[in-house]
Amino acid sequence: MIVSKQKEFRDILKTVKEKNIFIIGCGKCAKKQHLGGEPEVLEMKKKLKVSGKKVIGWTVLSSACNIGSWDEVLSQNPAVGKAEALLIMSCGGGVSIISSVAPQSAYPALDTLSLGGVCRDSVVMEQCNMCGECDIQFFAGICPIGQCPKGMRNGPCGGAMEGKCEVDERNCVWEEIHKRLESLGRLQLIEEIREPKDHSKRRRRD
Amino acid sequence: MSFREKLTSGKFTVTAEISPPKGTDITGMMKEAGMIKDVVDAVCVTDNQRALMRMNPLAACSALSHEGFETIMHMTCRDRNRLALQSDLLGAANLGIKNVLVMSGDYPTKGDHAGAMPVYDLDPVQLLGMISRLNSGFDLSGNSLLGKTDFFAGAVSNTELTEAAFIKLGKKVKAGARFIITQAVFDAGKFSGFMDKFQSAGGKQIRVIAGIIPLRSEKNAQFLNSNIAGVKVPDGVIRRLKSASSPGDAGIEMAADLIKELRGVCDGVHIMPVGTHENTRKLLEMAGI
Repeated sequence: MIVSKQKEFRDILKTVKEKNIFIIGCGKCAKKQHLGGEPEVLEMKKKLKVSGKKVIGWTVLSSACNIGSWDEVLSQNPAVGKAEALLIMSCGGGVSIISSVAPQSAYPALDTLSLGGVCRDSVVMEQCNMCGECDIQFFAGICPIGQCPKGMRNGPCGGAMEGKCEVDERNCVWEEIHKRLESLGRLQLIEEIREPKDHSKRRRRD
Repeated sequence: MSFREKLTSGKFTVTAEISPPKGTDITGMMKEAGMIKDVVDAVCVTDNQRALMRMNPLAACSALSHEGFETIMHMTCRDRNRLALQSDLLGAANLGIKNVLVMSGDYPTKGDHAGAMPVYDLDPVQLLGMISRLNSGFDLSGNSLLGKTDFFAGAVSNTELTEAAFIKLGKKVKAGARFIITQAVFDAGKFSGFMDKFQSAGGKQIRVIAGIIPLRSEKNAQFLNSNIAGVKVPDGVIRRLKSASSPGDAGIEMAADLIKELRGVCDGVHIMPVGTHENTRKLLEMAGI
C-alpha cells in the first residue's frame, strides 16, 4: 500500500487558483487510510465551498492509478468536463495517471510518503524502498533500506541509543533484524558483509 | 614517526579533534591546532560533524599539513555518493593525507540543513572496503587506478554495544579498519570489558584509541548524556562535578586519571574537548604524557 498524508488545507487553497473544481478520490490505498474515500471527499467538498470554490462534482474512482481512458471517466461523470481543475485525493501515482489523460490541471490533495502496508489495523510506513533488487531474505524480512533512515546494510549506526533510532522514537531496525534472525536460527546472515547496492536497478527506463 | 608507525609499533598514541571553520577563515582553526602542536601525534579533522555545515575536512587537513600537522581526515557516508567519496579520497591522497576515519555521519535533520538529501550510498563497512580497494589499485567498479592510495583507515565505535552493533564492528575490521577510535569513555572498568570482548573476538591486531572528553560542568555532562549518542557519563562523575569548587579543574583531573588508567588497557587516547583545546596540553601533562 502507498502511504500518504493529507496536505494542509490552506496549502491546497494556495495552489488551486481555479474556481470550478471536480474532486476525485481513490478507492484503494487512500480510501483504506481514510484519506480519499467518500467521507473525506465530501469533507473536502464542504471545506472548498466554505472557501468560495465551486465544487461541480466528485467521484471516488475504484483506483486512481488505474484508468482505462478519460472518456470512460467522463461518461460516468459528465460534470468533470466542465471543471477548470481536478483535485485528486490519491497518491502521486494516481495524480500522475490522471494528469496524463485529463485535459485540465490536476492538483494533489495528499502528500505521498512511502510504500508500506496495514497490519493489525494500523498503517505501517516505509516497508519497502523500491530499490529494484529485493534481497530482504538476508534481513529476516525486515528491509533496512526501507526502514533504517540511513539505509545501513551491514548493521546499526552509532547513533542508536539503547535500541532506539537517532532519527525518531522508533526502535532501531537493526535490533529488530538481529532479534528476528536469532529466532529464525539464521544469525550467520548478519555476519556476512553486504556489498553496496546497485542503484542502476532502481527507476530504470526499459 | 608517523601516526601509523607509532600506533602500529605499540606506542601509546595521542590524537585530538579539530573542527574546520564555518566559513573561509581558518585563523581560529590554526590557533586551536597551535595549542596542541607537538603534544599530539595527529589531529583528527571532522566532516560536517553533527550535520552542521562547515569547511570540507580535505581542505582543512591540507591547510593543517602545511603547518606541519599530521592529520586524520574524517569521512562520513552522509553527504557523498561512491563517485564523490572516491574522487575525494584520490584528491586527499594527492594532498598527502594518509589517514582516514570512517563513520556513517549524524542524520541531516540533526543539523543546520535539515532538508538536505541524506545520501548514505555506502555504509561504513562498504566505505572501508572501498578504501581497501583503492589501496590495492582499483576503484569500486574494478577499474585500475593510475597510482594507488595508501590510506591507513580507521573506524569509530561506541564502547557499550548491543550484539548487532558488536557484529558490525567486526565487519568494519574485516572490511579494512586498522584502528578504532571510540566514543568518549568515562568508566575504565566498563571500557576494559569492551576491550576484552573485542580482543577475544579477533580484534587483537586492531589498535584501539579511547575517546576522552574533559568535562566542564555538571550541566555539560547532562547535556552529553541526553544529546550525544553513545555517551554515558556515570552518576559518580556527575556528583563529583557538582560538588567540586572548580568543576572545570575537576573535569581535567578526572580525565587525566582516566588516561593513566587506560594506558595499560588500550593503544592511545583521542581528546575531544567541549569548546577549545586550551587545557589539552595541561591535561596530557597531568596524565604523564
